[in-house]
Amino acid sequence: MPEFRFRSELWTAQYTGIKASTLGTFLKALREVDDDTIYYHLYRNLFEYHFLPTDYWNSFSYWFAENGFPVLAEKFLALDLMECVCIPDIREEMVRIVEREGHSFDKLCKPFYFIRAVRRIVDLGEVARDIKELKEGVRKVGVHSLFYHLVTSRLVHRSPINDFSRWLLEVGEERKAEEINRLDLMSTDLYQVKEKLIEILES
Amino acid sequence: MLEEYERFTDPGTIKELELLAKDLKGVRVLHVNSTKEGGGVAEILHRLVPLMNELGIECHWEVIRGDEEFFRVTKKLHNLLHMPGGKTLEPSDVVTYMRYTFENAAHIDTDPYDIVFVHDPQPLGLIVKKKKGQRWVWRCHIDVSSPEEEAWKFVETFVNSYDATVFHIPEFVREGVKVPTFIIPPSIDPLHEKNVELEEEFVRSVVERFGIDPERPIILQVSRFDRLKDPFGVIEAYRIVRKRIDCQLVLAGSFASDDPEGEEVYSEVLKAKGEDPDIHVLNLPPDSHIEINALQRGADVVVQKSVREGFGLTVSEAMWKGKPVVGSNIGGIRRQIINGVTGYLVNSTEGTAFRIKQLLLDEDLKRRLGRNAKERVRRSFLITRHLKDYLILIHSLLKGL
Repeated sequence: MPEFRFRSELWTAQYTGIKASTLGTFLKALREVDDDTIYYHLYRNLFEYHFLPTDYWNSFSYWFAENGFPVLAEKFLALDLMECVCIPDIREEMVRIVEREGHSFDKLCKPFYFIRAVRRIVDLGEVARDIKELKEGVRKVGVHSLFYHLVTSRLVHRSPINDFSRWLLEVGEERKAEEINRLDLMSTDLYQVKEKLIEILES
Repeated sequence: MLEEYERFTDPGTIKELELLAKDLKGVRVLHVNSTKEGGGVAEILHRLVPLMNELGIECHWEVIRGDEEFFRVTKKLHNLLHMPGGKTLEPSDVVTYMRYTFENAAHIDTDPYDIVFVHDPQPLGLIVKKKKGQRWVWRCHIDVSSPEEEAWKFVETFVNSYDATVFHIPEFVREGVKVPTFIIPPSIDPLHEKNVELEEEFVRSVVERFGIDPERPIILQVSRFDRLKDPFGVIEAYRIVRKRIDCQLVLAGSFASDDPEGEEVYSEVLKAKGEDPDIHVLNLPPDSHIEINALQRGADVVVQKSVREGFGLTVSEAMWKGKPVVGSNIGGIRRQIINGVTGYLVNSTEGTAFRIKQLLLDEDLKRRLGRNAKERVRRSFLITRHLKDYLILIHSLLKGL
């Protein structure tokens, strides 16, 4: 059986020095900032706030809502990161939304500070060779690791399938793979996801 | 010591820290600040330095020396950076600052270190000692977003010689900063006397010791006696609440004996309290950690109505105790409180009173927001997160940004 190696992703924040005070300058920056900056505002924030019932989980939506752009706030809120396999695609989608729905491009807003994620991926030294070991691994590792394997690994592999499901497919567990890939990570907190994962692997 | 944090963090967190530090074994790190005791910086370093050592990083901590004159100048500089107004830096102040900088440069040996963290403006000038191959980081703990320009220009000449800077929030970063800037909020230590779990009975006894009735609702603000903390606004808000709810207000803080303004504000607060027996103004010694802890645990609602804040970690301290905080919609406070989820952000005295009433009258809401508040701190403002940020920062600086 192939090995499943548990990894985890950790990050800190670096200020890009770019700030936007109008929707126009925001759009310009959105086109120009690097991928790790988009990653920070979407992915890192999803992780940071998944366990709390916030109105807006990503800082783009929050900024739109705070500055009187409710439609943009809602559309950005609804971005489904599970369908995204590369940052340039989601950036393009966001730019399209702002171009289509945006208005009052010169209105002065509270500043938005673009931050980039400085990321480090670590190998946890935990290896699974069968489903029982995979389940034990999931039980042991933290939510950072689950987030990496379920969410950001889709970017690493440019694949709509998460790491757990990919491995399960390789070992012929299609049903389990599909069930895990269907988990809604945008509206469930990672602690619940962990329970659900264990439940699926046990079934 | 690290394993003691295991019970506060997600499973796997300590292992992740150990793995992050694995590549950094033997790296030599020095922290330099202006005091070993008192203040948030020293409090964090007391714990962060041994934790880094435990992870295999050779970490030391040095404190700069200075006489009264030097610290008068650095206090002036601190105030000017924090808020414009007041007397600007005189040439004689610059001379004093530089004289002590060179004296400190002579007695603090920075040469053996790979990374030197310099905290706040007091030791900033030590950058003159930087050697080739070293990485120097300026860790700014204050809000320098709208400083007195001349004071900032003085500081900027040093700042841009560093390899990187660290600020609490991006709003605090000045445009003149040209070097890579990291955003790392401060943190609280769950094992510090100020934050450790306390028995309910003990909490009650402390509350009673100060003449506060534990059976009636308690509104609390913990802060030094300073106009920037708006104690008068808190009293005004309490008086609005008091019209509908029988409650008490506790203003707990301290002022240093060498802080004439603190004493003045304290007297004014006592005057504003008047004859109201339900307003308790407590001037506590600076090491009253356990008392502050008990007061925070005994309170029903905690308020932080500051006009300006470096970050306002008292907010996280109260949140860690499961208290919803009603805080001003400014700087670091708005980074800690998620409006309507972990507490309330307010913009006026009336708004403060309204939110306090809401929380006092709705036990479920209070409990729910308090629970979220604790979880928010557990995830984002504990020292283990701070340590993780430093490890990634050190790694980035040594292996390339």
